[in-house]
Amino acid sequence: MNAPQQGFKERADAELKNAVLKIAIDRTTGNAERKRAVAVAAFPEFQAARARGRAIKDHVIAHLDHYLEMFERNATAAGAQVHWAADDAEARAIITRICLEADAKLVTRAKSMLGEEIGLPHALADAGIERVETDLAEHIIQLAGERPSHIVWPAMHRTREQVAILFKEAHHPPPAADDPATMVQSARRELRAKFLGADVGISGANFLVADTGATCTVTNEGNAELTTTPPRIHIVTAGIEKLVPSTAHAFALLRLLVRSATGGEMTQYTTFHCGPKRPGDADGPEEMHIVLVDNGRTRMLADEFRPMLRCIRCGACMNHCVVYRQIGGHAYGGTYPGPMGAVLTPVLDGLAQSRDLPHACTMNGRCAEVCPVEIPLPTLLRAWRTRSWRERLEPRSVRAALGLWAMAARRPWLYRLGSRIGVRALRLFGRRGWIGSLPLAGGWTAYRDLPRPSGRTFMEQYRAGQAGRAGQTGREARK
Amino acid sequence: MSARDRILAAIRAARPAPLPPAEAIAAEAAALLDAPESVRPWPVEAVLAAEFVRKASALGTSFDHLPDRAAIPLAVKRYLDTHGLPPALALQPAPALAALDWTDIDTHDAVAPDQTAALGLALWGIAETGSLVIHSGADAPILLSFLPLHHIVVLEERSLLPHLEDYAAAMQGAAQPRNAILITGPSGTTDIEGSYVRGAHGPGFLHVLMIGG
Repeated sequence: MNAPQQGFKERADAELKNAVLKIAIDRTTGNAERKRAVAVAAFPEFQAARARGRAIKDHVIAHLDHYLEMFERNATAAGAQVHWAADDAEARAIITRICLEADAKLVTRAKSMLGEEIGLPHALADAGIERVETDLAEHIIQLAGERPSHIVWPAMHRTREQVAILFKEAHHPPPAADDPATMVQSARRELRAKFLGADVGISGANFLVADTGATCTVTNEGNAELTTTPPRIHIVTAGIEKLVPSTAHAFALLRLLVRSATGGEMTQYTTFHCGPKRPGDADGPEEMHIVLVDNGRTRMLADEFRPMLRCIRCGACMNHCVVYRQIGGHAYGGTYPGPMGAVLTPVLDGLAQSRDLPHACTMNGRCAEVCPVEIPLPTLLRAWRTRSWRERLEPRSVRAALGLWAMAARRPWLYRLGSRIGVRALRLFGRRGWIGSLPLAGGWTAYRDLPRPSGRTFMEQYRAGQAGRAGQTGREARK
Repeated sequence: MSARDRILAAIRAARPAPLPPAEAIAAEAAALLDAPESVRPWPVEAVLAAEFVRKASALGTSFDHLPDRAAIPLAVKRYLDTHGLPPALALQPAPALAALDWTDIDTHDAVAPDQTAALGLALWGIAETGSLVIHSGADAPILLSFLPLHHIVVLEERSLLPHLEDYAAAMQGAAQPRNAILITGPSGTTDIEGSYVRGAHGPGFLHVLMIGG
């Protein structure tokens, strides 16, 4: 369930003018970038571990039906009920039905991007069920009526002062001060009764372990366990690509996930949930339901976007993306922002709705460099651009400009003539070595400067260089 | 056709060759765990206890080293006094803890929503990450580790494992509990402007009583 993409350029434009947003993004992504670099430097085997992580994901993707059936068998044997949903609507229907049949009034939820992807928050509201987000960042954006702007730090676009205003209105009693520690205490107090009073707890899964039937969550706050233990029913929503063969394989991926996401070595709470409460258990839910969601994933299995199924949702690609760091997550308009979102949103919403996203990329390749499972993100973004061209989704101006360029590129004399005129004309707009504004290119130069060209094309300079060298060699020969 | 059948059919349609036999897939999966030392941090076997303390301390876990279990009540009292807490404790209903002499502390089984302090047992410690392992069970409520502000955990030094895989190996063939949890430091969050704050929803303090040596 994703918002329409039509207004990407307008949204990006608005966000670029938002100075507070820029500060908020820089604080979080800058911090994440630095901490990841330190964690990777302290782990000399990181590159080998990364290749291994990729191989594990590729192995699972190649045998996905085998592992899904194994997981289903073992989870069922542990007492969980496994449901299958081909798309977001089926997933919403299954979860709503479980909640309504249980006569649930209050549902607590531990952050899961898949829940956002399938539009779970709206579905619960439509069913008249109170939903309480328990992850601190999700709590903040629920109060603000917003969507996540980052897959690891969903409220990273909000400053401390903005959070304080939200908490003062919603918390009883309101927090006494607006420093982060006081506000975290306030949320802890406010949410405690909700944890213990919920009828259903919904979590996602970072891994589905095939040989035990367990689902694995990782959190730093401890909200997942407080969400999944007290209620009568625990529902897990997970994409079918989350499988791993065994617990040991999950650990191999965890080493990559945590370092890439937060720069830590291990999340505070890494929990394997296997079935409902056992006879004699001191606590735990009576029922456990696991909803396995396809929603476009089997389509990716069959096309060039298959490597994207390796994604373990660490967020490193967006933390290192020059575009994301300028416009933030909301401008992307889908559930998933940044480079991974620009690849996934066209799968989920259709390319016609989201063709701007794969274009909003400089192809600098940093996302692929930091990806812990070696997803070739720029290649996949280029594949969407190609498909957009083939499916004639590119606007007429783009088609015309590219047609003109292609015509020139096939006629070298024309291309050279054009570039000779071009570089000389561009010099007229340069001030002190840089071009700050250009007619017809205001959208480009508003946020970037172009170095003033040298006045001669590469080919002209190359020829001159060759001629000079030939002359020199000739003179030396005459000596 | 059910959603299950449609999903499995789509997966099979995307694969050019038939699925290899289960044994071949299992062998390939096992090979992906070969030579673990090449894909994990340096070996730590030589100094397990020191490495565990170093890793866990860096994350904010505090330690007390005790000669044996009999020393636990006194160590707990010392901890509560140091933090200015009342001598009350939610106690994991495990025989090994119930058997101790609790005359100076008011202990109870139930964990209150605003519980100040609780004491539980860890099954293993993992030196690589400074993690404590707990399992749910009849004498091991999960909320005991999450509701209190101060979580005190007993760990036998002989239960230390070098790496994460060693825990997976220790569980090989054993029954998977409802919850198996690796606790790595006190609860924390960086959700407001990236500032690290302890005690988000779970315990703000994690104290380990390390037994033996």
